Amino acid sequence: MLLRIVIDLLIAVGLIFALAGTKGVLKMPDTFCRMQASTCISTLGILGVCLGGLLYAIFVMHSPATAVKVALIGALVLFTNPIGSHAIAKGAYQAGIRPEKPMETDDYGRDFDE
Amino acid sequence: MPKTKFPAVVSTFVVCYAFWVLLTWTFTVQELAAGAVVSLAVALFSARFFIHERAFWLFNPVKLGSALLFWLILFPVEMIKANVDVAKRCFGGCKNVNPGIVKVPVDLKSDYGQAALANAITLTPGTITMDVAEEDGQTYYYIHWIDVTKPSGQEAGDAIKGTLEKGLRRVWE
Repeated sequence: MLLRIVIDLLIAVGLIFALAGTKGVLKMPDTFCRMQASTCISTLGILGVCLGGLLYAIFVMHSPATAVKVALIGALVLFTNPIGSHAIAKGAYQAGIRPEKPMETDDYGRDFDE
Repeated sequence: MPKTKFPAVVSTFVVCYAFWVLLTWTFTVQELAAGAVVSLAVALFSARFFIHERAFWLFNPVKLGSALLFWLILFPVEMIKANVDVAKRCFGGCKNVNPGIVKVPVDLKSDYGQAALANAITLTPGTITMDVAEEDGQTYYYIHWIDVTKPSGQEAGDAIKGTLEKGLRRVWE
């Protein structure tokens, strides 16, 4: 019973952070801030749900094969997500996308834009 | 094209075989033998792209211990703190952001260390590594930061990646 509560809590925490990220993606003022909010979904959102699923697979389903696959899904998302984010952010900046409100400091533009 | 070295083949084989066992999770002789053959073929062809530096660093227990310490304790703590911060900004109406791109010096020397640090920075919500540049032997990251509170350079670097870099230096140097 206690275990079930812990599992549900983990999944709920993951969903709350995914909700926060989704709201950020829709409402943030410019492209780069929207990407920052989307990182929330793919880190704690995924991690919370995967951890809950992992505990469920081990202690309720008693199936190590499923548990290993859930853990691998979490690990692979954590490995591949930053590479995609980095490429999208750099590509967006070099394609000429700038926020409407000027940024606080813009060292990248200063060093490469001239 | 670089030449294939024997230690690189061995460590690529170990990684591939571990993945095979984890994904299939059936311990019959046939499965294990097929996995060994496929992993060996993959390792022979791809080792020279996969390993560029010392091949056996992960088999050293001290390095493995500090790697586990970093990825299981230090990094998740930093990540959860940053997640809570960004989630607060999102639920608070998305208005209190102060974005900017700062240039930050990085002291790690190894290629793998730099890649791991850049990925760790990108994975913490609120910071994205945009580019890596090298000037006069010193490596710099350009980091998009959602809330610029410190001026560019060492101070911003300590605020963004102080803990992460300390943890990674123990793994790679």
